[in-house]
Amino acid sequence: MPDSGARNGNPVREETIYEYLQREGVSRRQFIKYCGMVAGAMGLWAAPVLNGSARLLGKPDLTEEVIRALETKPRLPVIWLDIQGCGGCTEAFAGSQSPTLVDLMLDRISIDFHQMLFAAAGSQAETALREATRTYAGKYVLVVEGSIPTGGEGAYCAVAGRSAVDVVREAAAGAAVIIATGSCSAFGGIARATPDPTEARSVREIVTDKPVVNIPGCPAIPEVTTGTIARYIVFGTLPELDDLGRPKTFYGTTIHDSCLRRPFHDAGKFARSFDDEGARGGWCLYELGCRGPTTYNACATLKWGGGLSFPIQSGHPCIGCSQPDFWDDGGLYQAQSVPLDRPALTTVGMAAGVGALVGAAVAAAGRGRRKRVHEARAESTPEAESTPEPERTGRG
Amino acid sequence: MDWHDFLRFVRGPLFEVSLLVFVAGLAYRLLRVVTLGWTRDRIPPAGSRVVGVVRSYAKGTIVWPFIPWVKDTFRGNAVTYLAGGLFHLGLFAVVLLSTTHVLVWKSLLGFAWPTLPAPIVDLLAAGAIVAMVALLINRFSHPVVRKLTGPAEVLSWLSVFLPMVTGYMTTHQIFFSYQVLFSVHMLAVDVMLIWIPFSPIPHFVFYFFSRTIHGVEFGKRAVSP
Amino acid sequence: MSSPEAVKTFHQGTGGWVASQLEACARCGICAEACPFYRVTRKPEFAPVWKIELLRRAYRQEFTLAGRLRTALGLQKKLEDEDLAEWSRIVYEGCSVCNRCAMACPMGIQIGPLIQEVRAGLAAAGAVPEEVASAVRKQIQKGSPLDVTDKLFDERLEWISDEWGVDLPIDEQGADTLVVFSSIELMKFPQNVVDTARILDAAGERWTLSRKGREAINWGIYEGNTEHTKLFLNRVLDAAKELGVKRILVAECGNGYDALRWTAPNLVHMPAGLEVTHIATVVAEYVRSGRIELRAGAADGNGVITFHDACKIQRRGGCIEEPRQILKILAPRSFREMSPNKEAATCCGAGGGVGAIKAADEHRYAVFELKLNQIREIEADTVVMACANCRVQFLDGVAHFNSDLKVRGLSRMIAEALV
Repeated sequence: MPDSGARNGNPVREETIYEYLQREGVSRRQFIKYCGMVAGAMGLWAAPVLNGSARLLGKPDLTEEVIRALETKPRLPVIWLDIQGCGGCTEAFAGSQSPTLVDLMLDRISIDFHQMLFAAAGSQAETALREATRTYAGKYVLVVEGSIPTGGEGAYCAVAGRSAVDVVREAAAGAAVIIATGSCSAFGGIARATPDPTEARSVREIVTDKPVVNIPGCPAIPEVTTGTIARYIVFGTLPELDDLGRPKTFYGTTIHDSCLRRPFHDAGKFARSFDDEGARGGWCLYELGCRGPTTYNACATLKWGGGLSFPIQSGHPCIGCSQPDFWDDGGLYQAQSVPLDRPALTTVGMAAGVGALVGAAVAAAGRGRRKRVHEARAESTPEAESTPEPERTGRG
Repeated sequence: MDWHDFLRFVRGPLFEVSLLVFVAGLAYRLLRVVTLGWTRDRIPPAGSRVVGVVRSYAKGTIVWPFIPWVKDTFRGNAVTYLAGGLFHLGLFAVVLLSTTHVLVWKSLLGFAWPTLPAPIVDLLAAGAIVAMVALLINRFSHPVVRKLTGPAEVLSWLSVFLPMVTGYMTTHQIFFSYQVLFSVHMLAVDVMLIWIPFSPIPHFVFYFFSRTIHGVEFGKRAVSP
Repeated sequence: MSSPEAVKTFHQGTGGWVASQLEACARCGICAEACPFYRVTRKPEFAPVWKIELLRRAYRQEFTLAGRLRTALGLQKKLEDEDLAEWSRIVYEGCSVCNRCAMACPMGIQIGPLIQEVRAGLAAAGAVPEEVASAVRKQIQKGSPLDVTDKLFDERLEWISDEWGVDLPIDEQGADTLVVFSSIELMKFPQNVVDTARILDAAGERWTLSRKGREAINWGIYEGNTEHTKLFLNRVLDAAKELGVKRILVAECGNGYDALRWTAPNLVHMPAGLEVTHIATVVAEYVRSGRIELRAGAADGNGVITFHDACKIQRRGGCIEEPRQILKILAPRSFREMSPNKEAATCCGAGGGVGAIKAADEHRYAVFELKLNQIREIEADTVVMACANCRVQFLDGVAHFNSDLKVRGLSRMIAEALV
C-alpha cells in the first residue's frame, strides 16, 4: 500500500491528492473528469454537462473549485469504527462506485483501520487505532457505523475491557470531522427498537461537545457518505444540516418529492397487494405502507447500485429507514394514514361505559329536579290529575 | 421535539387519547338525553308511523339535499342550503370514501368498502372548503343565523375547517413539507375529536332522533312529512 | 315578569322527546323563512328557533354538566332572573303554533310543539297577554270564551232551531255521535249549526249535542296551561262518557279538533273506544259509503273556488284529502289549488290565539295579506275552509284589505248540495 511520507514522522510537505493520482497513473484529463464526478457526488450543481451554463448564469464553477482543492490538498486520514452494527453500511460502501472516489481522496492506510476490512486483529488492531488517533490528531475523519450500546454500563460492546462508549468518545476527541453513517449510528437503529434491550444510542448522544453529521439510511447510500466527505475536503466545512443533523443536500427532500410513481399517487391509483394489477402496473405503494412522503433521503434520485434502482422502483414500499425510530413507527405494510396507536376494543368499551355512566348520572340529576317540581306542584293543586312524567302540555 | 417526533405523537398517543375522549364524550351526550325519560304516546294514529319515518328519512336525506331550490325556504337561505349541502357532500366523500381515510376505518373497524377516485374526492374536498368559508360568512351576515351564532358555533366551525384545509394541503403539499402538514392535520383532527363531544356538533347523532320523531308525528296524522 | 315558575315548568316538561330535539338543532336558521310571521315582518326574533330559545337555555342550565358548572361558577345569568315580557310577546303575538317550521327544519324538529312547551312555562309565570288570560278566565267560569253559558247555549239553540226549522237534540241518550261546535260557530255562524244538523240527518246519523260538552275551543291550549287544557277537555269527554256515545264529531273548529283528537289522549283518560273525528272526514265517508249524495257541480258556475288549509285541521290534523274529495264533486270545473297548499299551506294569521290579541293586529293582517296574495295569484273568487276561526279572520281580513273575495264554510257548501 502506498506510503504517506508523514507516517515516518518526516516533516515532509504532504503529497496532494493530484500528486497522488499522478503517481497512480491518472492523466490530467481523467483527473478533470474525476473532479466533475466528485462535484457531482457532493450533490452540488456541477455536473460536467452543465458546466458551461454555470458560467453563463454567473454561478461559481464548482468543478473548478474541486480541481483547485484536489490540486492543493492532501488526502484525508479516515478512521472507521463499526460498533453495534450489521456491517451493512460497509457492505454497501464496498460494493458501490464510491470506493474508487474515496481511494482517490482518502489515505488508504488509515482506512485500513476499518474493523471489518481490517486484516490485523487483537492487540495489533488496538495499537493501530491508538497510533492513528495520536498521529493524525485533529486531522482525521471519524466515521462511525452501528449504534453504541450504553446499557449494563456499556458492557454490551467492549473490547479488551474497554467499552465502546469510551472508544468512540476517545476517537471523537481528536477527530476533525465526525460522521455517523447509517441509521444505527445516526439515530440508534434496529437495536434501539422496542424494547431496546441494550439501550442503544446514536453518536450524537455519546459525543455531545462536537458536531456530528448524520448520514442515516439502512444502509446509508454510499454516495452520500462519500459526497459529504468530499465536500469537507474541497470546502473544509461541514454541509448545512437539517434539524436531525442530516446534510440538506441529500436529505432536504422526501422520497415522495422525486418518486417515479408519484403520478399514480396523485391520480389515486394504488396497488392493493404485491401481485395485483396495480402492483404489476407500477402503481403507487401508499396502501402497502410506503413512507415516502415523510422520509427524507436521496433514494429516489441517487438510487442504489450506482443509480440502478431503489425499493419503490423494484416494487417494495419505502420503509422510512432514514428517519429516527422507523422500526417503531407502526407496521412496515401499514399505510401512513393509519394511526400509530389505536385503543383496544375493551378500552373503547370502557370509555363508552364511563361516558354513559356520567351521562346517565347527569340525566338522573335532571330527572330528580323534574320529580321535585312535579311533586311540589301536585301538592299545591290536589285536584290536578296525575300526569306521567315528563309532563306533556301540547305535544303530539 | 422535532417534526418526526411530533408526527409520531399526534398519530400515536394523542390520537388514542382523542379517540377515547370522543367515544366517551358521545356516549355521555347520548345517554344524557336517552335516559331522560320517554312517555308512551297514547294518541291513536290515523296513518302509519313507519311509513312516516321512511318518508321522513327519504325526503330529508336523499331528496331535498339535492334539490333545495324547490322549497320555498330556499329564498333567503340559498347559502345555507347550497354551501351546507356542498360541505356535507365533501365531508362524507373525504371522510368515508377516500382511500386515505378508508384505510383508517379499516384499521379501526376491521373492514373496508369501495372508494371514490382520488380526483373526484379532491374536487369535493375543495368544494367543501369553499363551502365552509361561505358558511362562516353567512353565520355573521344572515339576520337570523347571526342571532344563533356564539363562541361554540365558531369554534365548531374552526375544529372542522382546520382538518379539512390541512388535509387538502397535505395531499397537495402546499407551502410546507408533507411531514409538517401531516403533523398539523393529525393535530387538528385530534383537537376536533376532543372538541366534538363538548360542542353542538353531535347534532349529527340527534338527527336520528328528530328525524324519526318527525316521521312518527307526521305519519301518525297521515300527513306527508 | 321574572321566571322561576317558568323555569320549573320548562324543566318539568323536558324529557327525552324534548331534549333530543333541542340537541338536534344545528342553528341553521332555515325555519325562519317557513314562518309566515317572520316572512311578513322580517323580525329575527320571530324565527321559530328563537321562540324556543328559553326552553333551550333551561335545558342547558339544568340538564347538562356544562350548564350546571357555568351557573355554579357564576359565568351565566340564571334563567330565573330573565325578564319574560319580550319572550311573551314573541311567543304569543308572533306565533300561531302552525308548525310549518317543523316541515322546513332539515333535522325535522317539531318546533311547534316545543313552542307550546315555552307557552306552558310562560303561562306558569303568568306571562300571557291579557286577552288570553281573560278568555281562559271566561272559559273556566262560564264554559266558553264567548260567554256561552248553559243558559245562553240553550237559548241560542232554541232560536236556531226555530229560525231554520231544524231539530237540535241536546243530551240525548242513545246517540252514537256527540257533535261539538265552537262558540264561534254558535254565535257568529249559526248557519253552520243548521247545515251540520241537516247533513247528519240526511245521513241518518244518531247524533246529539251536549250542554256540558258544548265548547270545542280549548283556551287552555292557546294559553299553554296543562291544567286548564285538561279541565276544558274533560268537560267534553265527561259528556261523551255520560251520553255513552261512540264518537265525538268536532264541527268547524281547528283548535278543538287538535285538542280532542291529537292532544287529549296524552293528558287525560279517554273513555274506552271513543273516536274523535272532524266534520269533513265524516262527510267524505258518508259520500263514499253512499249515506248521502251530493249534487255534482252544485258549486260550479260562480267563478274559481279554492280551499284554505287550516293549520290545525290539515297540516296538524291530517284531514287533507277529504275536503278536496268533496270539492271535486261540488265544483269539478271551478276548483283550483292555491300555492302553497295542503300540509305546506301558510297560516291565515289568526291561529293559536293571535286573533284575540290586539297588539298582534299588525302581524295578523300582514300574514293574512300573504294568504290573500296567494289567492289573488290564482284569481280565485271564492275561498272555502273548514275552520270557523279562520273564517272570522278571513272575513275581517277581506274587509281590511277591501277585497271582493267570497269566504265560505265547507259545511255550507255541502248542505247546499245535499240531494
